[in-house]
Amino acid sequence: MNSSTSAASFTRRASMVLRSRPFLTFATVLLVWAVASVMRPGFGAFGHLRYLVELASVIGLVAAGQTFVVIAGGIDLSIAAIVTVSAVSLPLLSIDADPTGLTAILATLVMTTFIGLGNGLGVAYLRVHPMIMTLAMATFLQGLLIIIAGGSAISSQNPLVAWLGNARPAGIPAGVFVWLGVSALVLLIMHATPLGTRIYAIGANPLASRLSGVPLQATTTVVYAISGFTAGLAGVLLLGMNGQGYVGIGDPYLLASIAAVVLGGTSILGGLGTYAGTMPGALLLVTITALITVVNASAGWRSILFGSLVLILLLLSGREKVRR
Amino acid sequence: MSGATTPAEQAAPPLYWQVQRRRNGDLFGLFAVVVVFLAAYGFLFPGFFTLPGFAKFTQSWFPLALVAMAQAILMLTGGISLAIGAMVSLGAVIAATTMAGPLGVGGGTAVVALAGLGIGAATGLIVVKLRLPAIVVTLAGSFIVGGAALLILPRPGGAVPMWLSDMLAGNTPVAFLILVVIVVLWKIYLATPLGLAIYAAGENPVGAYRSGIRVDRVLVSAYAISGLLSACAGLFVAAQTGSGDPVIGTAFTLNSIAAAVLGGIGFLGGQGSMRGALAGSLLLSLMISVMFFLGFTPVAQYVAQGLIIIGAVAIPQFRRKR
Repeated sequence: MNSSTSAASFTRRASMVLRSRPFLTFATVLLVWAVASVMRPGFGAFGHLRYLVELASVIGLVAAGQTFVVIAGGIDLSIAAIVTVSAVSLPLLSIDADPTGLTAILATLVMTTFIGLGNGLGVAYLRVHPMIMTLAMATFLQGLLIIIAGGSAISSQNPLVAWLGNARPAGIPAGVFVWLGVSALVLLIMHATPLGTRIYAIGANPLASRLSGVPLQATTTVVYAISGFTAGLAGVLLLGMNGQGYVGIGDPYLLASIAAVVLGGTSILGGLGTYAGTMPGALLLVTITALITVVNASAGWRSILFGSLVLILLLLSGREKVRR
Repeated sequence: MSGATTPAEQAAPPLYWQVQRRRNGDLFGLFAVVVVFLAAYGFLFPGFFTLPGFAKFTQSWFPLALVAMAQAILMLTGGISLAIGAMVSLGAVIAATTMAGPLGVGGGTAVVALAGLGIGAATGLIVVKLRLPAIVVTLAGSFIVGGAALLILPRPGGAVPMWLSDMLAGNTPVAFLILVVIVVLWKIYLATPLGLAIYAAGENPVGAYRSGIRVDRVLVSAYAISGLLSACAGLFVAAQTGSGDPVIGTAFTLNSIAAAVLGGIGFLGGQGSMRGALAGSLLLSLMISVMFFLGFTPVAQYVAQGLIIIGAVAIPQFRRKR
């Protein structure tokens, strides 16, 4: 009897997992990979898939912060600018006294976290709408970037950054390890800490959560600071892969981060979703881009295909409930 | 609240003026700032008070005014568009490729208008019928529309007839007159059932639906009008520059949101008014011109613009909550 109830609960749990958004998104990725490998033998090669996951790790990192912000009921439109600030200023921060380059990375991450903190303070305490606050921050950073970079590409001499972007311990890119580490931490914070619960609460109903004693303003501030941190980390990784930072390097990642979050089943209205969905969402985006590259179309068609595919995939995960 | 104002426009004049006064009162601070900036502009650029000077000024404002209206009508319904910039680009490239050809200016304008209405309506149908969030649909839509603009004109080129450029962007304030006509048309639209329901559908879609308003139809027509306005802004930009550019509209997406929010339009739908959005776009346009005349470097312009937008949005919030 005991075993039969546990079996029943196991099947119930299994069917819950099988029908969950994160799993469905992941299954879609695997399906697309399988079909594409049959159509194009080169697509399924380990080297190519590894490359896709490596590209997805940057989107995955940016989207980690975005997931937090969206679940908390906001949106971060300054992500592209923060990624660029990180990738451009890191080479300039390198200090000769530290041959490993670790201090420069830490300094960059502290800086981007403070930028995110600025967003959070504006949203939480000045009560500026997140879209306007982060947009204005992006404009502000754009000005800052012209001062520090002046329009030219800056090469990185930082050994640790180069290692992060190019090394492959045990055949797997270091960036993927960074992504996995951050993912574990993000999932832990999201689902196993009071902070995570508070973030869901303020996204679902800010007034009710404030009246129940959730520190609304502090939580909001922290969420944007996390987003600044992960965007900064993504910038570091991107710099490592590219070898140089330039103004505009982060631009593709704003839309990618929002798309990955929504494709992963997180509601853009807040309060609902998980990073476990965003991770396959990032993989899905990279896969779409890779497929479009295979088709060998002009830039216009590539853009149209990308938009259409995202729209079609949204039907799987992004629909709202009927409100009548 | 706002839904009750529009029937008043048809009924009793005293109530109508009461409502108008309240609406203007909400925007008093914004109007004051706009006047200060206009004075500063007139001081820095004395030619402002001549006809060509006024024409030039309104021409720099005109496309921003159109996209601010395009964004405001969507935000009033509780939606938003991140594809405004792409629509402006599409309008510009269609104008630059059709007008010099056999279709002529009339045909080209018709194609631009149809493309704007059609794409806008399609976006609206996707948002309404497939129940997808507007922000994500228009994000994906910006790729599709931007891709279409690249297909039509892969690199800057094409041409708009000289006389059209002279008429729209010359020394006469034709653009300003067109804007006046558009505002009058908006007033008329607000008096029709579809326009009347915009506020209701934006503020409380479920309540509006249960009161017998065809919310879906209201939203789709709002998206169609928004698309039309953005595409027409593109046509004007093409006339201004004399040619088409597939990425010329990019900045308009963010500026349209900034202008609408500066003008007091809320993100949740049903809050704000079109005069606010127009004043917001005027302020943004003035800000850019004044900083240019003061010789701000681009860096300082970016920084100042960011700070002014945050300040303008934050200060009224503070006054309200206390």
